[in-house]
Amino acid sequence: MSSILELKNLSFVYGQGTPFEKTAVDNLSATIEKGEFIGIIGHTGSGKSTLVQMLNGLMRPTGGQVLLDGKDIWSEPKKIREIRFRVGMVFQYPEYQLFEDTVYKDIAFGAKNKGLTGDELDKAVRKAAEFTGLKGELLEKSPFDLSGGEKRRAAIAGVMAMEPEVLILDEPTAGLDPMGREILLSQIVNYHKERGITVLLVSHSMEDIARVAGRIMVMNHGALHDFDKTKSVFAKGGELRKIGLKVPQVTRIMQTLRERGVDVPDGILTVDEALEVLSSLLKKEGKIW
Amino acid sequence: MFISIENVSFSYDSVEDGQPVKNAVDGVSLTVEQGEFVAVIGHNGCGKSTLAKHLNAMLLPDSGKVYVDGDDTADENKTWEIREKVGLVLQNPDNQLVASIVEEDVAFGPENLGVEPGEIRERVDKALKAVGMYEYRLHAPYKLSGGQKQRIAIAGILAIQPQCIVLDEPTAMLDPSGREEVMSTLIRLNKEMGITVVLITHYMDEAVSADRVVVMDSGRVLTQGTPGEVFSQVELLKKHRLDVPQAAELAFRLKGCGVDIDRIPLDEAECAEMLMEVLQ
Amino acid sequence: MVRDVAFGQYFPGKSLMHRLDPRAKLVCFVAFVVLIFFTFNYAALGLIAAFTVFMIAVSGVSPKFYFKSLKVILFVVLFTSVLNLFYGSGEAIWQWWILRLTWNGIHRAAFVTVRIICLILASSCLTFTTSPTELTDAMERLMKPLAVIHFPVHEIAMMMSLALRFVPTLLEETDKIMQAQKARGADLESGGFLKRVKALIPILIPLFVSAFRRAYDIATAMECRCYRGGSGRTRMKILHMSARDIMSMITTAALIGGVIVCNIFMTSVI
Repeated sequence: MSSILELKNLSFVYGQGTPFEKTAVDNLSATIEKGEFIGIIGHTGSGKSTLVQMLNGLMRPTGGQVLLDGKDIWSEPKKIREIRFRVGMVFQYPEYQLFEDTVYKDIAFGAKNKGLTGDELDKAVRKAAEFTGLKGELLEKSPFDLSGGEKRRAAIAGVMAMEPEVLILDEPTAGLDPMGREILLSQIVNYHKERGITVLLVSHSMEDIARVAGRIMVMNHGALHDFDKTKSVFAKGGELRKIGLKVPQVTRIMQTLRERGVDVPDGILTVDEALEVLSSLLKKEGKIW
Repeated sequence: MFISIENVSFSYDSVEDGQPVKNAVDGVSLTVEQGEFVAVIGHNGCGKSTLAKHLNAMLLPDSGKVYVDGDDTADENKTWEIREKVGLVLQNPDNQLVASIVEEDVAFGPENLGVEPGEIRERVDKALKAVGMYEYRLHAPYKLSGGQKQRIAIAGILAIQPQCIVLDEPTAMLDPSGREEVMSTLIRLNKEMGITVVLITHYMDEAVSADRVVVMDSGRVLTQGTPGEVFSQVELLKKHRLDVPQAAELAFRLKGCGVDIDRIPLDEAECAEMLMEVLQ
Repeated sequence: MVRDVAFGQYFPGKSLMHRLDPRAKLVCFVAFVVLIFFTFNYAALGLIAAFTVFMIAVSGVSPKFYFKSLKVILFVVLFTSVLNLFYGSGEAIWQWWILRLTWNGIHRAAFVTVRIICLILASSCLTFTTSPTELTDAMERLMKPLAVIHFPVHEIAMMMSLALRFVPTLLEETDKIMQAQKARGADLESGGFLKRVKALIPILIPLFVSAFRRAYDIATAMECRCYRGGSGRTRMKILHMSARDIMSMITTAALIGGVIVCNIFMTSVI
């Protein structure tokens, strides 16, 4: 594997040189490999949003560098717009960015800005709509006539249609109900699998992150508190709780069992895993068969 | 019985042709007792928000009746009396704060009711203390966190001195710490001040704190009961693609494997306790 | 970023300026603004400038916020003063192409610069030390007599206070929408006038849609809180005119007197 994003001593200070100076990201270094699915967690104000906005050049770091494919994204500030097509960014509540008179045109907006035309553009738009489960007949409707969940998906499709090499999603499931959350999440997983691109998912929902991410960046006070495999991160549940984060309920249950002397492994993340471990334990004791 | 909903149906008019579309609420009957904490859960579009707006006469039923403390919500002479008794808190905290200073916002309700200035002051201070935001009384709302804003919105309703607060997905736009702030505030209001709470939510872990859970689907009541009764129907909830607390799901699935479990646990402590028992 | 705008913000505090009755403040402010445009010589101008500095000093708000509010209109000040510089009448002291520099022009430029700066500083002082609610409240009470002729005083005051409340929210929203469209490759920085105006569409449409949605929500929230117009409404804060307020109005009157005296005894330079 080769690295796609390399963050070198990245810092961002708001209002530098003024009395309101506030460090949002503090000397952060990390390497992200091509094709990874990274989860980013941290409480509100830990610097997650600032960090991801630096990765696609929407915010210019006040210190350090972001290397995309080995090249500093700010080496040619005039070409920073090109970086935004290569690192796609879906903001929180993205539905507020819809503005065109049809869903199709709205999804095409970014791709068109990138320079796609004709068949290429059409293919990109339809493919993106397919990834987010938007049916063909919806494409000719006004985006303002869609339901809340459909609007969200149309907005995400608008970024996917730019065919980025890295896709960043900031809280894509915020405000959706459990079913909507699950559907959207599986669409993102599917997209990651099929396109093989790098995905960075910022989320407050540990349950979601536990299900999809390969590695997790834990942000605290603008610094990288931890960056490790999902299992290892959640295994340190106590530490996460200390910085104001909650691990999934099932992880906590299994941790309690472990603390009370039951022989279960560390870092169990899903109900499925827990069930497997518990049933094999019970089988051994002959309680079920 | 404080609120009584009797066979209520309601449909919105279609944007395109002005004709009524499928019923958003479809023959719902429900009661809320004084001092109760009721959680209403269900998908977006299941009719739970529409139902919420019926409780303080923001919407009137197409058919059926809603009675608040014995008064029919359709009686126009009673509308304001009903809104004084039943306060409604909405989802987006930003859009319900009307003044630029926290205390002035909280004063908005009693000012509308024509309460004497001295008493408004008392009510505002009391309401802000009840939600733990008294120190912020001179702040500007837009600089506060989502959880803080939502607590201000709750204080704004409290200052009207209602008997019941209805909250329409108050935590949907908040981060986990904001959600916790709002939930602990609600539990305190209910337990300590005896205020009736109707909480509309799609977070199951919030519904677990309620006295009673009502599950809605396609405008109808699917099932209701204590959290224990409702969340032990894991199959039914899963079938309607609703979430179940992980503790309940784990126990339910173990039971399916033939493990002897008599009670479905709702929180992690209960679940861990039960698993220890089973394993020993 | 847009949300850095300091103009129109309120800073809670307990300074002399903060404690003045908003009605007194509003009356003095209006008088002061009129006065600014009745200065025709440097003595009067100096008096106005000195009074502005005095107001800032007793406002208890750090001067850096005043500088920040000036920064926003720096361009306007420069533009108008340069325009005035070459627009004077009389004998030219320097000339190049159509640019004619006269003494009259220099005076004009100096006056317009000081006047605009004083105007901005005075309005900043008013908004920094008076909450929007107080301000609209004062306006509503001062204009109350107009209600007799069915002028919708309460409605206008309520609309203004809501508008002021949502200025920061909408600015933040504009910022968010701009970032999101930039992330989709919207080019807001380059191109000619027409292209730039066109580039605003993806920002303005979502902004309007969201503003309408908010307006609808706010109306619902207000009804839920028993709002039904201005009649029968009471206010938490009762306004009292105190010795302080009388003093402030006497001071303003003295200033008016001073400017009149200057204008009578000294020759106008513009």
